[in-house]
Amino acid sequence: MSEKPRPELVIDGFPGKQRPRWVELATSADHKDLGRILIGGSLGFLFIALVEMLLMRLQLAIPENTFLSPVAFNRMLSLYGGTAVFLFAIPLALGFFYYVAPLQIGARGTALPRLGQLGVALWAAGATVLYAGFLFTPSEAGVNPLAPLNELAFLSNNGVDAWATATGLATLGFVFIAIDLLTTLRNMRAPGMAWRRVPVFSWAATVSCWLLLVIGPVLLAALTMLMIDRNYDGIFFADGSGGAPLLWQHFSWIFFSGSYMLILIFAFGAIAEIVSTFAAKPLFNRGVVMGSLVAIAVLGTLAWMQNMLTAPIGIGWMYFAMLMSLALIVPFGLIVFNLIATMIGGALRMRAPLLFAIGAISSISIGLAAEIDHSMVAAAWQLKNTTDSTAATHFALVGGAVFGGFAALHFWFPKMTGRTMGENLARISFWTMAVGLLLAFVPLFLAGGEQGQVIDAYKFYDGTGVNGYNLIASIGTLILAAGIVMSLVNAILSRVHGPEAGHDPWGGGSLEWFTLSPPEPHNFDVLPDVRSAEPMRDIRDAIAHSTGSTEAPARESQPVA
Amino acid sequence: MTPHSPGTDQISTLLSIGLVAAAIVVVAINLALFYAVRKNRAQRGSAPRASGGGRRVQFRVGALLTVFALAIFVVSLVFTGKARETPATGAAGLAAAKTEPLTIKATGQQWLWRYDYPNGAFSYYKLVVPVDTAVKLELLSTDVVHTWDVPDLSGKRDAVPGKTNEVVFRADQEGEYDGQSASLSGQAYAAMRTAVEVVSPQAYEDFVKQQKADIETAQDRVVGLIENGEVP
Repeated sequence: MSEKPRPELVIDGFPGKQRPRWVELATSADHKDLGRILIGGSLGFLFIALVEMLLMRLQLAIPENTFLSPVAFNRMLSLYGGTAVFLFAIPLALGFFYYVAPLQIGARGTALPRLGQLGVALWAAGATVLYAGFLFTPSEAGVNPLAPLNELAFLSNNGVDAWATATGLATLGFVFIAIDLLTTLRNMRAPGMAWRRVPVFSWAATVSCWLLLVIGPVLLAALTMLMIDRNYDGIFFADGSGGAPLLWQHFSWIFFSGSYMLILIFAFGAIAEIVSTFAAKPLFNRGVVMGSLVAIAVLGTLAWMQNMLTAPIGIGWMYFAMLMSLALIVPFGLIVFNLIATMIGGALRMRAPLLFAIGAISSISIGLAAEIDHSMVAAAWQLKNTTDSTAATHFALVGGAVFGGFAALHFWFPKMTGRTMGENLARISFWTMAVGLLLAFVPLFLAGGEQGQVIDAYKFYDGTGVNGYNLIASIGTLILAAGIVMSLVNAILSRVHGPEAGHDPWGGGSLEWFTLSPPEPHNFDVLPDVRSAEPMRDIRDAIAHSTGSTEAPARESQPVA
Repeated sequence: MTPHSPGTDQISTLLSIGLVAAAIVVVAINLALFYAVRKNRAQRGSAPRASGGGRRVQFRVGALLTVFALAIFVVSLVFTGKARETPATGAAGLAAAKTEPLTIKATGQQWLWRYDYPNGAFSYYKLVVPVDTAVKLELLSTDVVHTWDVPDLSGKRDAVPGKTNEVVFRADQEGEYDGQSASLSGQAYAAMRTAVEVVSPQAYEDFVKQQKADIETAQDRVVGLIENGEVP
């Protein structure tokens, strides 16, 4: 560390922008603009997914309801699945990776900005195609449209084609973004930033991008086969003439299992940064957390057949899937252990990002604990395809993408806008969401695990003992949605009205807090030589040393009101 | 679910074990979180205590988690093995199924289950089986993926076109057991239910005989109508 801190240069008179701001944003290849498009867009789709979910829960509030017709319900279900996975959760994770990771590693941009721009455009095109489906007919085949229901013989309108095109375009976009980010992360790290000094969130980005490079093409191949089947008399997934309906399940579950893991890797990457920042101490053991993230990506994808335990596959494959799924207990457990060990002995400032991060850990722990039961082969024969699996998936993924995503949003919002999100509204929103989540999905555990209520059904029958559970779940979903909307409103309002944050409001450890809020287009005027995993801590220590101050570095700095 | 078959007895026990394991995980993590947050909130003038995660503690925690995961794995193997066993037909069961289980074909189609009995009779929606008798259902599908699910008698299994799957059970009590298809199969999926009626072996024999006779009568009537020119 040098004796004197390096001055931070600020360029005045940067050439003014000539075109309207939205044109600048839409045509920009800057990773921050692309990240903002992804984050903003995916939060918009979160709202749409909520509306779809509420409509389905309204249909399922009372037995044998006729609010939605069976076809309308199946369309809502398919749109909800496509929106939640391809238009909300994955792009939200990629958006934060895109915005934050280059800043964290001290890059002045990304390596292949035009490729990334194309990726975001493809994602937007996919979103347009999925919702243009409303002009003709949305898919009726469900969240993962299993072959051969997705074939022309059973769903002859264009819905499934629209679904396949939309998810295919979005996935191709994700793969392009992953290539851009990976190249950046490999080649453009600040001087001295060896892999062992890469911030955990950037490491999560690296692992996620590798994962996307593996699982993305698998889904793209499956979608191509599906399109050939549907439009050119193909027989890949059709029974008879040599086709294999189970092949679709293998391909699609590889992608869906991998993206499940991607969302959790994103969440734990963000949570690790937030916990360490708000406890004002380094992660308990960075190496173990980083290694565990890799293990999650590998094991979680290898466990794809955990979704097929009722399908006609050999019992040996079922045991293999069970082994891979149960092996995930070790890396997930180690990460949670290290996060809690980081909090112990820390000086925790209970601000909104930490609150959401803790909520995320708690919610994910419930979802993954339930997934243990879904991995035990004979138990899965009872639990699979019941609302118990709906609940398990939603605890894990709402925990990861919504609570984890909101933690990341509250944490990096000051960097993106220069303003903090309103703290009071954030707290009200958090507790509303927590209550809503429990009310919405704990009853579904009971309805599915105890009474065997089946998944994806547009109605349930009176006298099957699930009336009360479903009514509570519907009310809970409404509360959950209200909580989520509060945070979305908070984000919109705080962009203009939030308290000004300064450049380093939380006392973070990584380099994104070294630059301005919001950062200039070129990110950094100067870069420090990186000598540890927490370069900002080194800089603060150096400042404290050179000014003769013996006090701890300015960790308690609060946003300027 | 109330288990009424040796297989579901095992599944039910395994589910209870799984519930305990999941509860341990949830309670342990959330209590630790609660404790960590409560005890370590920043106070005026408090500084964080540095702590490093030495290798030893990581190895210990990792080993503990590995043992936990392996224990669940082994227990699941044992119970799954037992749940898969074909039960033997009991004393009160069908005499003809003493050595080989009674094999019935269950075919899923949008949106009904069809059951084909060994003597050539068939029935839709309702399956009739003798009590205390080992029954093997061969699951087939004529169109899309359907899942046969009667929770009290057996775990659920998929009927995939072009593949055969099977379900084995031995109902221990006469009565009617409800079930529902558990894979999205199109518009009327939620209405695709089934029922298993467990009766005495004698009643079963009578049922399949009567069903076969009824089907033949109906067939003869159709043939007669066509040959007499009464229908075009």
